[in-house]
Amino acid sequence: MRYKLEKRPVQNPWLQTLAVFIGLAAALGVSCLLIISAGANVGEALTAIFNGSFGDWDALAETLVQATPLIFCGMAIVIAFRARVWNIGAEGQFFAGAMVAILVAMNLSFLPRPLLIFAIILGAMVGGAIWGGIPGFLKARFNANEIITTVMMNYIIMFFLSYLLSSVWREPGHFFLQTARIPGAAQLPVVASGTRLHFGFILSLISGLFAYLLLWKTPLGYEIRAVGINPVAAQYKGISIKKITILTMIISGAIAGLAGGSEVTGLHFRLRLDISTGYGYTGIIIALLGRLHPVGVIIAAIFFGALVNGSTSMQIITGVPVALVYCVEAIVLIFVLSADIISRYRIRRVRDVK
Amino acid sequence: MLSDILQTAFIVSLFSGMIRIATPLIFAAIGELVTERSGVLNLGVEGAILTGAFVGFTVAYHSGSLWLGVIAALIAGGIIGFLMVFLSTTLEVDQTVTGLTINLLAAGITFYIYRLQFKSVGSSNLPNLPIFEVWKIPLLSQIPFLGEIVFSQYALTYISFLLVPLVWFFLYRTKHGLILRSIGENPRAIDMKGVNIHLYQYLAVIFGSMMAAVGGAFLTLSSAGLFVPAIAGGRGWIAIALVIFGDWKPVPIFLGALFFGFLDSFQQQIQGIGIQFPYQILLALPYILVIIALIVGHRRAGAPISLGISYHRE
Repeated sequence: MRYKLEKRPVQNPWLQTLAVFIGLAAALGVSCLLIISAGANVGEALTAIFNGSFGDWDALAETLVQATPLIFCGMAIVIAFRARVWNIGAEGQFFAGAMVAILVAMNLSFLPRPLLIFAIILGAMVGGAIWGGIPGFLKARFNANEIITTVMMNYIIMFFLSYLLSSVWREPGHFFLQTARIPGAAQLPVVASGTRLHFGFILSLISGLFAYLLLWKTPLGYEIRAVGINPVAAQYKGISIKKITILTMIISGAIAGLAGGSEVTGLHFRLRLDISTGYGYTGIIIALLGRLHPVGVIIAAIFFGALVNGSTSMQIITGVPVALVYCVEAIVLIFVLSADIISRYRIRRVRDVK
Repeated sequence: MLSDILQTAFIVSLFSGMIRIATPLIFAAIGELVTERSGVLNLGVEGAILTGAFVGFTVAYHSGSLWLGVIAALIAGGIIGFLMVFLSTTLEVDQTVTGLTINLLAAGITFYIYRLQFKSVGSSNLPNLPIFEVWKIPLLSQIPFLGEIVFSQYALTYISFLLVPLVWFFLYRTKHGLILRSIGENPRAIDMKGVNIHLYQYLAVIFGSMMAAVGGAFLTLSSAGLFVPAIAGGRGWIAIALVIFGDWKPVPIFLGALFFGFLDSFQQQIQGIGIQFPYQILLALPYILVIIALIVGHRRAGAPISLGISYHRE
């Protein structure tokens, strides 16, 4: 008798879930070490994070506020990654959406409010779709690696926005690089009075429902997943990979753009360069942790939203920098990806054959 | 305006700047070339540069020795590379996903430790250190023009230039280079011959990551003299694009890095003499150029056939 390590023919979903928990536990361990290295009390820091994020209704609402852009960006990544189209440009598409949303809010504010809000949402999606569609087209037409082009597009739009904010869009008479505040009619309504939780959160949940329906209930979604699983086989079935590449980038970009529109008209009410703390990149972590599934994304996004929200209290109480969150996010992902090996392999006892 | 551009000083600083700007790109792209030739697509170059920049700066800042900073950056780059190759080959996590994760991890950890070390730092009092001095090569630096441009650079720049023929020699004139290239093409055939494929891949990825980290250390120790979280500035991605644009060959990659350095240097010089043009658009040019390079280079055929596919032993 001996033991043999072999690949499982299909991944076991229960073991995949178990891998997430093993990964989370390991990441928690490392995070505690990081907190200790900052000279703080682990219990105190963790309590501060929990109370700051779920302690009362206000804290919970703020957690959902923080989760909103993460849900959008996670969904955007899910749709792209399902087709194995590597959209690393959600950050740029976020800003493209925010820019068009601001443009609409500033110039069409004479519209009746529902129409104005609708125009803002549509504009944000168009902005993101254009910024995502360009690398999609370049990939389909010139086979230009979309990972690199989307990252480059992130840089390009930041310089472009910085130019606009320092010239034509600059709030008159102000020192900071920011637009004027948008009129009240163009602001997304608050959905829980007394908090900052705005309509964008509802929209982000709708984007999740949309992602689910698109991927699993439509022919296009079937094609997207088919290309992602096996592009060669998909091509034999008559699916155009180029069409899928462009379409997924456009849809993915539109959702990321909506994230930007939602943040700028629901939370900040003006456009600055720092309205995103890297949501487009965190969206990648969230999508992967959420197993490229909308429900997983929402759970992961709320978890990270809570971390971001709670870490502010942690910094105030224990002095551990908020930057800890960005560490923890990546560490969680590394451990979960590593632990995933248990769902792909099994150890079997085999008899030696004489 | 035209007379400004034709001045000797302008030309010297234009080309001298070209070489200086190209240095980290040469390190990172030549390192990535070796990595990709082994069949591993390491997208964590940006993270390795950032790590090298941060560790190099921090160690040099506390120890007072710039060279110690460079060595520390090498070690840190090696660790990042080890993590990359361990996850992608041994644990068989998707290579694209691993590379992206490495970048996010590097960004998170450097930012956190930086904040821990320098708690009350604003944008006006960033900790900084005196950078390397230019090393004028005796006699050669006396040559008019050329001496000022090529032979009055930082030591790390000379090393990056030496790296190109060394890597070329390794890849095309040594047995191990041949094996490495063959692994990138057909790992199964090489495995049949009893070669330890993973050993080659581990070494190639770790080497590539170490080079990227030295490129990062150049940014903090020979160029900026300080660390900011955005210091890598997409150079890792530009290096990966250069490998594609240079068709996975050392000399074209080197020339590509110089060309890139030239345009970036030109853009800086133009800003310097105050031509009325939005500087943000000039700053965006290198990134636009990368996209154009990828469009132009789309017919390149030199990619290793097994690039990005983790080798699984049956």
